[in-house]
Amino acid sequence: MLRMKNLSKVYRTHLIETHALRGFDIHVKEGEFVTVTGPSGSGKTTFLNIAGLLEDFNDGDYLLDGINVKGMNDNARTRLRNEKLGFIFQGFNLIPDLNLFDNVDVPLRYRGLNATERKDRIEAALTQVGLASRMKHFPAELSGGQQQRVAIARALAGSPKLLLADEPTGNLDTQMARSVMELLEEINAKGTTILMVTHDPELAVRAQRNVHIIDGQVSDLVRKMPSLYDAKADGKTDGSSANEVDSSAVA
Amino acid sequence: MFRYYFLLGIRSLRRNPALTALMVLTLAVGVAASISTLTILHVMSGDPIPQKSDRLFMPLMDNGPLKGYTPGEQPNDIQMSYRDAINHLSAKFGERRAALYGILMAIEPARKDLPAIESEGVATNKDFFAMFDTPFVHGQAWTENDDTKAADVVVLGNKLAEKLYGKTNPVGQYLTMIGHQFQIVGVLAPWEPSPRFYRFAGRNATFGEQEDFFIPLASAIRHEITHAGGMGCTGDTEPGWQGRLNSECTWITFWFELKTASLRQELQSYLDNYAADQRKLGRYMRQAKNKLFNVMEWMEETKVVGNDNKLSAWLAFGFLMLCLVNTVGLLLAKFSVRASEVGVRRALGASRKEIFNQFLIESSVIGLAGGVAGLILAFGALALIAMQSKQLTVVAHMDWQMLTITFVMSVTAAIVAGLFPTWRACQVTPAIQLKSQ
Repeated sequence: MLRMKNLSKVYRTHLIETHALRGFDIHVKEGEFVTVTGPSGSGKTTFLNIAGLLEDFNDGDYLLDGINVKGMNDNARTRLRNEKLGFIFQGFNLIPDLNLFDNVDVPLRYRGLNATERKDRIEAALTQVGLASRMKHFPAELSGGQQQRVAIARALAGSPKLLLADEPTGNLDTQMARSVMELLEEINAKGTTILMVTHDPELAVRAQRNVHIIDGQVSDLVRKMPSLYDAKADGKTDGSSANEVDSSAVA
Repeated sequence: MFRYYFLLGIRSLRRNPALTALMVLTLAVGVAASISTLTILHVMSGDPIPQKSDRLFMPLMDNGPLKGYTPGEQPNDIQMSYRDAINHLSAKFGERRAALYGILMAIEPARKDLPAIESEGVATNKDFFAMFDTPFVHGQAWTENDDTKAADVVVLGNKLAEKLYGKTNPVGQYLTMIGHQFQIVGVLAPWEPSPRFYRFAGRNATFGEQEDFFIPLASAIRHEITHAGGMGCTGDTEPGWQGRLNSECTWITFWFELKTASLRQELQSYLDNYAADQRKLGRYMRQAKNKLFNVMEWMEETKVVGNDNKLSAWLAFGFLMLCLVNTVGLLLAKFSVRASEVGVRRALGASRKEIFNQFLIESSVIGLAGGVAGLILAFGALALIAMQSKQLTVVAHMDWQMLTITFVMSVTAAIVAGLFPTWRACQVTPAIQLKSQ
């Protein structure tokens, strides 16, 4: 689904050069749930931005769903982003003067779908996150957890192949964070690949894999975790018994 | 997507209502100032008879005395002597010819209890009505025979007819004017060409109200009805009415109507030949060039639209520019607080072009709102202008064309003002905006 090889990203000012990513290699397979951890400034967000085609990189290769994005112009990247990717942000990033229906509608508008298809998709997505009854409500009328659910519905409505989540539970209390995490695990169980940046070690270990980034490079800490779906299938729900390092995940 | 962006634009008006109101008002004031002055300019400079303005010609010939004349000097007056007017009427050059002069008369209503009505009219010949396409509500123009016999007939303007007879058809009735009985042969429908190009009576009077009545030129001459308005008299003049008719004094306005505009050169030749003939008779000694003006040229020559009007329009445009600069600043403020929304939309699949379209259409919506507010302000401004004088009442009114221009101007101004803020909005780096939330 996502493969980065020897990728580098350098931020330059007239005084200094900052290597945000260097020799960065990662391979995320289709259907995986991968958490990304690392200290502040290690390059997690840069990696996620590049993965989400929101930022360009300086060197290396990046294949998204088999498509090499290197050298793609802004329009092509935008189209690819709209078709393949879904985003969930820490700050929810809902548009405050649009109701839930219209917020979820935003990515579908840019895809050029007709009104009926958009309506069906929006209703299905909001139903999936348990907010179908509040379509006409505005973001300010919802709790933080509910707003994040709307953001998830917005990401899901476009049926993305890869869901990128940047600390989606960072602004939520523990209970809401757990609820959002369970929702993401359900989504993953239905086949959507998820790449989630988090600072929360408890959440990090719940994913199938945990990629750790330090100084712009993927470290050797990669855990293999059964997904909630797998755990449930095995009759386990805490997922704490199967941590092991799987360095093969680092290409 | 246009409808989507348009609806987003309307929704956006409700966001930051104070800022939105300020923008709309800024735009409205600029548009109102421009539209008010433009409306007056438009009415003043509009073609009052577009269907034939290029084939109606006003001659300008210099019959002044040689004494005190410097070659190249403009004629003393832009009107014509009675002798020349009669000569041109008799020559029958062109499709139609009309000689006319303005008169003021007291009209005595049939009801003796009512006082005499001071009325303004025109003495002319029957070609006048067909030449200027005057619409009739009752009856028709008088006949050529009436011109020849100097008959006492009258065509009433609709306002005077209503004042005297209400809604009834007065054709056939008699009206007492300067002690003589004039038979009514027709009543005009409302007819107020603006500017009132067909007779010159000074720039201000060019925008007067419609005439109260029309009587045959020959009848007015027979009754020795003096003209109202300017007269150029530079030569020696014999005393009395006949003396005026024989003099070189200029007080008649004359128009030729040609079948096509291309016959202009033939009319020029006719005038040159006429001047040469008159020179042989001891007139037209100045050897000045005989000029011809069609309607629009005539309005330009007589400076119907003065430099002060043009200056006002330029000043109003300058004011609009100032308002635009302010609007740019306000739009920058409005759009800059929406950088996070731009970031989200970009992340969710909006290209820069989509963002550009969205924000530009949003600017247009502000322009539309500014147009509506500007229109209301412009109506108010025009009403105030109209209160200044009777002449301004005629020109200070908005037509559909100006109404459309108001909206086009407002939307265009808003789009122009929105270009830079929109471009700035498109430059938002989504990654930075999304993380900063």
